[in-house]
Amino acid sequence: MSYLIELSISGLAIGAIYGLIAMSFAVIFKATGIVNFAQGEISMIIAYVAWTISSYVDGNPFLVALGAVVFAIAFGLLIERLVIRPMIGEPLFATIMVTIGLAVILRSSVVFLWDAYPHALDIGLGRGIVEVAGARMRTGQIAVLVLLILTMIGFFAFFRYSRFGVAMRAVASDDRTALLMGVSAARVQSVAWAAAAVISGIAGVLFAIVYELSPSMFALGLKAFPATIVGGLDSVIGSAFGGLVIGGIENLTGGYISPAIKEVAGFVIIIVILMVRPFGLFGEKRIERV
Amino acid sequence: MRSGVFKETIGEQINLTDSWHVRGWTIALVLALIVLPFYLNAFYLSLLTLMAITMVGALGLNVLTGWTGLISLGQAGFMVLGAYAYAIPTALYGWDPLVGLLLAGLVPAVASLVVGIPSLRLTGLYLAITTLAFAFIINHLVLDFDGLTRGARGIFVNRPEILGISFQNDAAFALLCIGVAAAALLATLNIRRSRIGRAFVAVRDNDTAARVMGVNLHAYKLFAFVTSSFIVGIAGALYGMFLSFVTVEGFPFLLSIEALAILIVGGVGTALGAVLGTIFVVLIPEFANILFGLLGDEFARSLSTGAHELKSMLYGVVIIAFLRFQPHGLVGLWRDVKRAWVNWPLRY
Repeated sequence: MSYLIELSISGLAIGAIYGLIAMSFAVIFKATGIVNFAQGEISMIIAYVAWTISSYVDGNPFLVALGAVVFAIAFGLLIERLVIRPMIGEPLFATIMVTIGLAVILRSSVVFLWDAYPHALDIGLGRGIVEVAGARMRTGQIAVLVLLILTMIGFFAFFRYSRFGVAMRAVASDDRTALLMGVSAARVQSVAWAAAAVISGIAGVLFAIVYELSPSMFALGLKAFPATIVGGLDSVIGSAFGGLVIGGIENLTGGYISPAIKEVAGFVIIIVILMVRPFGLFGEKRIERV
Repeated sequence: MRSGVFKETIGEQINLTDSWHVRGWTIALVLALIVLPFYLNAFYLSLLTLMAITMVGALGLNVLTGWTGLISLGQAGFMVLGAYAYAIPTALYGWDPLVGLLLAGLVPAVASLVVGIPSLRLTGLYLAITTLAFAFIINHLVLDFDGLTRGARGIFVNRPEILGISFQNDAAFALLCIGVAAAALLATLNIRRSRIGRAFVAVRDNDTAARVMGVNLHAYKLFAFVTSSFIVGIAGALYGMFLSFVTVEGFPFLLSIEALAILIVGGVGTALGAVLGTIFVVLIPEFANILFGLLGDEFARSLSTGAHELKSMLYGVVIIAFLRFQPHGLVGLWRDVKRAWVNWPLRY
């Protein structure tokens, strides 16, 4: 029984990281209708920048957090302005391919700018061990779960109550009508990219604190795909839950069946879900008009 | 100045070419490609072989992505399947290489049905994600069934001997690859001008309209999947022979990106684009070497440690640059140049 609890709790913790990245997929998809295949890479770059900052400020957690968030916002805005904005109005194929190209560039630039070895991001926090329900957890893992819940509440409130959140939903549901109503679709798009960069940056930094920082961290983005599909690409809150589900399933299959299955469990789930419900479990069904 | 081309029958309309110049140049090119491998040194020969193999893969993907408009990120997965479907029977059980090559096409074709059937309900993005997932699942299955595939240890593959002709030496192997590439080119060109090819393009351009015109969407999408992965699987088998060692690591995810980059650079949706794109993309690392050589030895040495990363970075830059500045690719560029040449000094 304690094995089960231990597996599920550590599964939920890694699932929370997937959930955060899955949320950033969903935010971008909701605002602009494209899937950013470079999300995992963006989160990796931000984690690396946080690591560099931490080596300059002796691991002061507040400065690291501040620096990482500021960089994430700037990075998200920059990518959107340089690469994505010119592709507005191009076919879907072209936009997807641009993000894939971006992913490849970012992935290999990590090896050039930093190095190919794993590192530990140490800011003096997040490594302590606490006992929860008979299972041992790192404080960092708890922090991820708490942050996931906070981000979920934050987004829920943002989309529901804030003026800008409503504008974003308007652009997502019909960008032309939104434009006619005076919503600036371009600004909505850049805010979505900045917000997505911040959320996935949080995920990346926490992953680097709890586990390790290495150039293969971009795989987090691939692992978050199943989460987004479970939740539905256009459902931000659903994606967060999807992350928890995928993390839990991955760990349980890894623990009870075989470690090899753990790696592909998420992908098998993608194919099964898309076969049954092509728009994700919580996604809105699109009705095409011709 | 030519004033226009008039075609009166459907036969003339779908002919591969109506010009004796094109036929003449094609024959000259074929003869040159037959003779060339015997005069090249080992380095250029391997480059030529790689080009031919990559071309087979790109042509295969072109059937699916270029013509039918289904985006696939699973190219590397189908190549791995093809390579193993060739390597296991021939290297471990001593079957005839010809049977091996046939299996290398058939196994991925059957496997593509597994991805193809769920994909009938998916469009664009979701399909790209499914094929990506498929490639990962294949890699892990190969590693997991190590009784059959020898897992991470890999399988040594010898160059084949087909119908009594040995392809042991490099020049002969290059000719084999060029031959397969030519066959793939002819096959895809002929599919394109048939009823099936027109149906593919109709599905790509507007699937609802195609359906109204009586195109069976399910059948044609599956057919595109099967044809594409048959060709890609054979490319995988050739690549395995080229490396003379088949492992999962030999077929990284980068191959899927490379194949899509080829289509974009060449111009999506044309066979000529796949050919031109292949030549361009295979030569990218060589261009980079020359360029960095000019910048000094020190610089070149520091880059040689990250050669793989540099290569993938260049793919990324090339993909984005072409999509941004030349969305019709090299074929579009060629068309513009040709038009300017024919119409000069008029603008159109």
